[in-house]
Parts: sequence; C-alpha cells; structure tokens
Amino acid sequence: MRFNRSTPASLFLNALVVACTLILTFPLVWIVMMSLKQQAEVMTWPPRFVFTPTFENFRVLFDAAQAGATSYGTIKVDFLTPVTNSLVISLGAVLVSLIAGVPAGYVLARRDLPMKEDIAFFILGFRFAPVLLVVIPLFSVFQTVGLYDTYFGMIWVYQVVTLPMIVWLSRSYIEDIPKDIEEAAAMDGAKPYRVVWHIVLPLLKPGLIGASLLIFLLAWHNFALGLILSSTKAPVTVALLKLLNPGVQFYPVMAAGLVVTMIVPIVLIILGQRHLERGLTFGAVK
Amino acid sequence: MAEVRLEGLRKSFGTIEILRNIDLTIDHGEFVVFVGPSGSGKSTLLRMIGGLEPISGGRLLIDNELVNDIDTADRNLGMVFQSYALYPHMTVKENLAFPLRMARAPKAEIATKIAKTASLLQIDHLLDRKPRQLSGGQRQRVAIGRAIMREPKVFLFDEPLSNLDTELRVQMRVQIAKLHEQLGNTMIYVTHDQVEAMTMADKIVILKDGNIEQVGSPHDLYHYPASRFVAGFIGSPKMNFLAGKVEAAHQHGLDVRLEAGSTISVPVQPDQGLIGKPVTVGIRPDDFSSTPGLQGISIALDVDFVEHFGSVTYIYGLAGDETVVARAPKSGSRKDAGKLTLTAAPADCHVFMSNGKSVLRLQAPATWS
Repeated sequence: MRFNRSTPASLFLNALVVACTLILTFPLVWIVMMSLKQQAEVMTWPPRFVFTPTFENFRVLFDAAQAGATSYGTIKVDFLTPVTNSLVISLGAVLVSLIAGVPAGYVLARRDLPMKEDIAFFILGFRFAPVLLVVIPLFSVFQTVGLYDTYFGMIWVYQVVTLPMIVWLSRSYIEDIPKDIEEAAAMDGAKPYRVVWHIVLPLLKPGLIGASLLIFLLAWHNFALGLILSSTKAPVTVALLKLLNPGVQFYPVMAAGLVVTMIVPIVLIILGQRHLERGLTFGAVK
Repeated sequence: MAEVRLEGLRKSFGTIEILRNIDLTIDHGEFVVFVGPSGSGKSTLLRMIGGLEPISGGRLLIDNELVNDIDTADRNLGMVFQSYALYPHMTVKENLAFPLRMARAPKAEIATKIAKTASLLQIDHLLDRKPRQLSGGQRQRVAIGRAIMREPKVFLFDEPLSNLDTELRVQMRVQIAKLHEQLGNTMIYVTHDQVEAMTMADKIVILKDGNIEQVGSPHDLYHYPASRFVAGFIGSPKMNFLAGKVEAAHQHGLDVRLEAGSTISVPVQPDQGLIGKPVTVGIRPDDFSSTPGLQGISIALDVDFVEHFGSVTYIYGLAGDETVVARAPKSGSRKDAGKLTLTAAPADCHVFMSNGKSVLRLQAPATWS
C-alpha cells in the first residue's frame, strides 16, 4: 500500500522523528564524548564538540598498577575486577535460572498440579517486591552462613531477579508449542526426557536466547543486591558508584566506566541476535 | 499386526463420565473407524488406546498384553494427528528418521527405510525440506510416513483428513485405504465424517454420549441400524422419520398407520407387544420413488426446496407436518412437483420403537458387492 502525503506533513513527521532521535541519543552521545575528553575539557562552557579524543580515561579504569598517576590528579581504580564480577555473577545467574527455571516452566505449562496458578503467581510475586525488601534480612543471614561477598551467594540471591522471569517466559513459550508435537514424539517412541531434549528444547531455543539476553540485562544492571551483599565481589554498578569520590570528581573516568558498562551487554546482544530465528514453529501444525 | 481388546474401558474427568464401559475387540489387520458426533468420546477413546489419556477404569489389551499403565513410547503404536504434528525444526528426512532414532536403529537401516517409505508415499523429492515448506497434503503424507517408519503394531488416525480440502480428502482417503491393503496393519481411525467411515472401514464403531451405539460393517450399519440414532447418522441425506402407530402384528411384519396418512405393512419382527404403541418409520431419501402404481406406502409431499447435485436431485418438502427429503425422479420439473406423491417399498422401511431402538428387519435388502 502506498500513502501520498502532502510535503509539509511529511516534513513535519520527519522532523518529529529527528527530534525523537536527538532526545534519545543525546545522553548517550554526551557520555561517550565525555569519556573521550580530558578533565579540563569536560568542565568548559560552552561545551566543545570538536576535541582531540583521548583513551586516557579508559587506561585509568583498567591500569591498576599505574592508576595512581594520571595527568590530572590522583585516582585509584580497579575496574577490571567489578567487570569480571558482574560477568561471573550475571552469566552464572542466567545459567542457574535456565537450569532451574525452564523445567519449572515446563511443568507449569504442561502438567496438572494442584494449586498450579498459585505457585506460578508466588514465583512471579518476587518481582513485585522491591529488591531491598529481600536484601535487608538477607544481609545478616548471608553474614552468618558465610555467603556474604561470595560468587555463590551473589548468584543465588540474583535468582530473585532472574528466576521468575525465566519461569514465566519459558512457560509461555512452551505453551506456544503445540502439545500434539510432544504427543507425536511420545508415539514415535520417545520417553519424556527425550521428548524434551529432542523436541521441546530445540523449539524453545530462539525464545530462550531472547529471554536469557533480557534477564542478563536485568542482572547486569542490578545495583541494590551487590551494594549490600558484597564488597570485593561487587558488580560493576556498585563500582560506578564508588567512582563518585568525595572531593575531586573524575567525571571523564566515570563516563568511561559507563561506556564500558554499556558495551558488554551490547556485544552480547549483537552476538545473541543472530540466533534469534523467528517463526520456527510455523509449519508444524495445520 | 495386532489385536486390540477393550474390556469395560471407562474415562472420567472428575465426576463427568466421558466414556462408560466400552467393550470392543479389534481384530488383527482390521480397519476400524470410530464415528460419532462431537463430544461422543471417540477421540478420547483413541487417545486412551494411544496412552495419551490415562484410563480411569477397565482393561486395555494389545495382543493379550495389559497395557493400561504402559507408556505411550513403549506401546509400539503409530499415530497420525489432525494437525499433522510434524517436528518443525527437522527436515522431512529427519522427521521420518525420528522414530527409528528413538529405537536406536542402525544408520543404514534408517536410510533404507526412509527410501522405502518415501517412495511408497511419493515424498522422495521433499526429503530435504522443512515442514513449513510443504503443502497440507504433503505434510499429511509425511505424517503418515513417520507413523509407518517404526512398523507399529497399530496405527491410530485422529481425524487426519479434516484439515484438507475436499478433493485432496478424497485422494488421501483412497491412499490410506490402499496403504491398509499394502501394510495389512491394524488401523483405528477416528472421524466425524460418516462418508469416510462408510468408504474405508471394515468395521464401524458408532459412539454416542460415551457409549457404543452400534458396531458393525458399513453394510450392516446402513441396512440394519440398531437405533434411530445410527439410522440418522449413517447415510446422506439423513433418513426420514415419520411418526406412526402399530395397528397389527402378523407373520409378515407390522402394520403401521402413519400420521401422514397411509397404512403400511413393514416386514420387521412382529412383536405383539407393540400393538397400539407409537413408533417411527424410517425411510431413506434414496428409497423413495415417484413411479406411480408402485406398491407400498404413498406420501403426498408439498415441495418447498430443491437441491441439485448434478447426478442426483433431492426434494425437500412437508408431508403432514414432518419434513421429508426424497430423491427426485429422473425427469420432471419443479412446476409439476408442487404436490408430489412419493412411494416407497415396505421392504425398504425401518421401524423404531419409542425408546429409539429398531425393530429387526426380516428381509435382507438387495445390494451390490
């Protein structure tokens, strides 16, 4: 179908699109620019859009050995550890959620259980409560049982964020797979676990990759859990906060930290996107 | 090849009884069709045989082995679903290979069998396609092929043709019937289409409200329906039912006075107890004739609608206050059919008691075989 719009109308609509784009990208562009500037350039007014970029801020972030000496002051950062922490915790949380959540989603989708909807709602209920509600009592529990500031404890507690999502998403994806297909596989001699392995999981793959990316982002951006339940194993979000030193503010270094924090999920999404085949179940039935 | 025996099979969901006391024996190599209106429990019964629906009571035996609690995967059955249920992430070849892979068959055997099945069903050229690249008829053939691969004891078909268009349905009907001749397996086929049942079955099982209404060959069901329900279900257009009253019973049958007028002497089991009782006389539309002078009953019909099929024409009208359908005479026109006198031979009539059961017919109808 073709629409014919008058020239002023189409100019106006295009202007709107440009305005939206500018508003959305402005903070992003601003941060990226800031991360490439010197401390002195950041503070100038009016802001300069043409400057000689420097990677000094990124060096400061990761070069723990030399960190004490920068061209514009003293700052000691070790950003590599929190990035590693965040990767370990977030990937670990996604993995554990997949292992525990997909079978749970399968049962909720396919089996008749007493009080099934209540169980499902209870699992989702964790998403209603503010994370702090869980964190405060857990703080003393974690310290007592020795889970405080461990990867194990962090991955475990991150399930509050990631597990309900995986359970609910995989449940709805599994409900979308026609039951006939599983019954056909059983007829063809496949035991239940082989039905899941050969039929359900391959059909679930694109959905699960999408869901994993989504909950990875949730885990990656979580702040409160790491702030209270960890110190040396703190995630990158907490490390960003620590860049807000009392005294001198190293704005460009913080901006560089933000850029690094954004880049990791962006890379993962670009990698994952290729696996997101659409409409895989089309053609199975009818 | 296998014998399937159902002994007092029951199914209930909570307090709702879906199937009550189903007793049925399906012989080696028999083609059995379950028919019935929707909600009659025919699909549930098939799924119970397949192990997809738990059995609430009674015994299910395949080759004299009790299989009530045996997993679907271990029953060695093949099933073709209404929705085809092909594995969308696998090619046709992989779909066909799946049952044998599950049985851990050697690769060479799998390849041979795929080639054999594909040529049998003429899907050789489709082997590398995914299900989404196939037409409905092709998908159906692949689904049948996949069910054949394991050489199952029993084939189950759950309304396999209802998603196909009319022409394709006729083709597939013939193909499935031929397949049964070639393979000789026991086949159980569920449909709501009585034409499929009549054309394909060795034995038809008519279900109604969770009970078996009648079991028999297509010929038996058509000519000796056990009840008014069966008589109305089998045959198209539906049998006409005319209210009447038994006036006398004698050695040649019952004399029934129709509300529409005439009295006929129908050759059925003469039961003295029926005298004075209300009955229903059934006459198939194809058994009417408008040749004048034919002995039998005659009914005056007010024609209000004519349906042309090309080869036959059916007339709809009122006889008294009952709707009657009759096959139109070879010649004539609607104008002179305004008021038509139809006749039917008494031997072609059925008599049903007020409880719906039929009175046994004494004369075997002439048929072509």
